[in-house]
Amino acid sequence: METAITLNHFLFVSGVLFAIGLAGVLVRRNLIIIFMCLELMLAAANLTLVAFSRFNLKDGQPDYEGHVLLFFIITVAAAEVAVGLAIIVALFRSKGTTDVTKVDTMKY
Amino acid sequence: MPVYFLEIIVVALGIIMLLVDAFVKLEDKRSIAWLGMMGLVVTFGLLFRVQWPESTESPFWDFYTTGDQMALYFKGIAILTTLGVLIMASDYSRIVVDQTAPPEKGAHPQSGLGEFFALPMFACAGLMLMSSANHLVSIFVALETVTIAFYVMVAYLRRNVGSLEAGVKYLILGALSTGFLVYGFAWLYGMTGSMQLDEITTALSGDNVNVAGSLFAFALILVALAFKVGGAPFHFWIPDVYQGAPTPITAFLSVGSKAAGFIVLLRLVDPFLSSGELVGKVILAVTVIAVITLIVGNLSALPQKNFKRLLAYSSVAHAGFLLMALACTPTTSQAGEFLSPAKVIAFYLGAYLLMTLLAFLVMTAVRVKMAGEELSSYRGLAKRSPFLAFAMIISMASLAGIPLTAGFFGKFFVFQLAVQQQQWFLLTVGLVGAGAGFYYYLKIAASMFLSEEDPKGDHSAIPVSSLSRIAMIVLIVLILIGGVNPSIIMGLLP
Repeated sequence: METAITLNHFLFVSGVLFAIGLAGVLVRRNLIIIFMCLELMLAAANLTLVAFSRFNLKDGQPDYEGHVLLFFIITVAAAEVAVGLAIIVALFRSKGTTDVTKVDTMKY
Repeated sequence: MPVYFLEIIVVALGIIMLLVDAFVKLEDKRSIAWLGMMGLVVTFGLLFRVQWPESTESPFWDFYTTGDQMALYFKGIAILTTLGVLIMASDYSRIVVDQTAPPEKGAHPQSGLGEFFALPMFACAGLMLMSSANHLVSIFVALETVTIAFYVMVAYLRRNVGSLEAGVKYLILGALSTGFLVYGFAWLYGMTGSMQLDEITTALSGDNVNVAGSLFAFALILVALAFKVGGAPFHFWIPDVYQGAPTPITAFLSVGSKAAGFIVLLRLVDPFLSSGELVGKVILAVTVIAVITLIVGNLSALPQKNFKRLLAYSSVAHAGFLLMALACTPTTSQAGEFLSPAKVIAFYLGAYLLMTLLAFLVMTAVRVKMAGEELSSYRGLAKRSPFLAFAMIISMASLAGIPLTAGFFGKFFVFQLAVQQQQWFLLTVGLVGAGAGFYYYLKIAASMFLSEEDPKGDHSAIPVSSLSRIAMIVLIVLILIGGVNPSIIMGLLP
């Protein structure tokens, strides 16, 4: 029996990816893992974009506008990681930890 | 001169400042900031000589609005904010030098200062592009240009744990909101088949709209932008980041990033408001966020002892008033009869720019001298430095919304909108919030004038550089003029 993969399958997978990323950001304590989970959320958005782009046909062709945004997201995410890791390294040098529960000198 | 030259000029100015920092031997690196200020003043002048294109056939105009007075107004806000930030940054430079890594042998004693002046220029270019962005791609790129520049600026004081901590918190929560934003953009694109905002409006106001999918996209985008502008319950990063960041950068965050967040919010909410099926739910969602923001912002500000934290909650409260204006959008059939929320928000942000910059200019002067940002540092300020105390009084009066200041008319127009739309509940919450505001703003005034200064401390006058003195005088005059005759600012709007 042959079953075609439809738009809904892609949306389901990307929704799950987004949820995993969000849960990771909220639950995990290590900054590096949190950062990876944030990248996972961006990957979910990218998958959604590509899926919509493939299934929203314009004149029988996929609509490539989604791909354009995807490439911008990848580029921006790379810049964000470069800056983000630098900040995390600076924090590690001054506090000796990347545990978010230890970064709590300012409250209320 | 074509309008997009403005952004190009500002970016070029930033690059020139970096090159000067790297290749020109300077006695005092603050001259880089002066170079930037002069460039920004020229750019601000060029705002009034913009020419709109005759033909908009080029695909470029899909990404960039044209014939848009509102965008020019917001570009003006971005430029003036950056100018103020550079003035503060050059006063603040001693602290920046002290708290970044010690220079290597033979290096310039102020090494690392040049970037601190150049980064705001790039953020400014991002803010300016954001006010003209008309396409999901250009909105995204502009927003991220600003956000990434801010990550660096917030964490700039590498030897200060507070600044690094603020940087990490801003990084994680900023990236989280970016995640929500792009996921929302992906769904919005999926539901409408387009990324150009005009085409999205057409698609959403058509007949076969996927209501569930479009609302999901709207919810994600609203969460992301509530993060950016500081709408509760997504405001929890604001107090920590404002407290930890270098003072000039806090000012930039609270004025520039809020103004830009609101223009993006206005542009992105607009297509949803044109859709008959979505408009009710969209307004309800914005109303809920506005109510929570007004309550949380005003009540949390009451017990604060740190001045920057107090201003952080006050900025949350102001975001509440701005969201309140957005929640009072008239339905399309009434449009034209009433004040438009976009105009009210733009006026409010203009007034907010003046009064917040003034408060931060005073705060920078006090911080450099006193090494503290607690409210106790301001005790007896009226005796030590009457001029600073006077400037602070004007700023606090305007933030609280006392008549004869620009802040009064900002709040007045918002309440007027609420009355027109008969949003009585929202109006009540807003009035209670404004009332609470009087308490915590005037608490500062009381501590400056009524309490005795610390007997052990230093009683000498606080030095103010002539540049920031001029800036303060200009801001005080503008606040008072705006409070007597708001039509001067209103006249700049379409």
